[in-house]
Amino acid sequence: MADLAEIKAMIEAALPGAAVEVVDETGGGDHLRATVTAAQFEGLSRIDQHRLVKAAVKPRFDDGAIHALSVRTAVPDS
Amino acid sequence: MADAELKQKVEELIAANPVLLFMKGTPEMPRCGFSMRVVQALDAMDVEYGAIDVLPALQPLREVTAEISDWQTFPQLYVNGELLGGADIVEEMFESGELAEALGVEQPAEAASAPAVAQAPPLQIE
Repeated sequence: MADLAEIKAMIEAALPGAAVEVVDETGGGDHLRATVTAAQFEGLSRIDQHRLVKAAVKPRFDDGAIHALSVRTAVPDS
Repeated sequence: MADAELKQKVEELIAANPVLLFMKGTPEMPRCGFSMRVVQALDAMDVEYGAIDVLPALQPLREVTAEISDWQTFPQLYVNGELLGGADIVEEMFESGELAEALGVEQPAEAASAPAVAQAPPLQIE
């Protein structure tokens, strides 16, 4: 069972200034969806954008709090 | 630490197959909804691809792909030797037309149903 606010804070800490939304997809607390809009994504491939998000929450995968995290990434309109 | 022999085998497979999918199950019988979504996207593209069922060696393959491409979950789609993404990325790229571009094929008509509406000529009022 993951703490949604903590997951959001971990992503925001890794990507300062990012707009982050984390929702519980199944109600079970371990399958989450994160929508992240960050200027840091500019020029990166999607896989690298996702790597940044997944790396930010890796400790919660490692301890089993999250089993699945769907990620949507976007670069903010300038 | 990943098994060195398995890692070498995986690297050879990635190098030998321009489009290679590591999935749970087979294209004919996917054993996971995420893997099925990637198979559907590839089938819609009418592109030849290799597919490897990871289930018989799930944990060793996780360790290998973690070292090769810093990615541990399956499915994983490799195009021209590079990890393109998992189900989320492949689906997003399928919808946007980037997948067709990455694969070097035409975007299929059915995938473009939403953009096709947007591209329709404006109504003309006589």
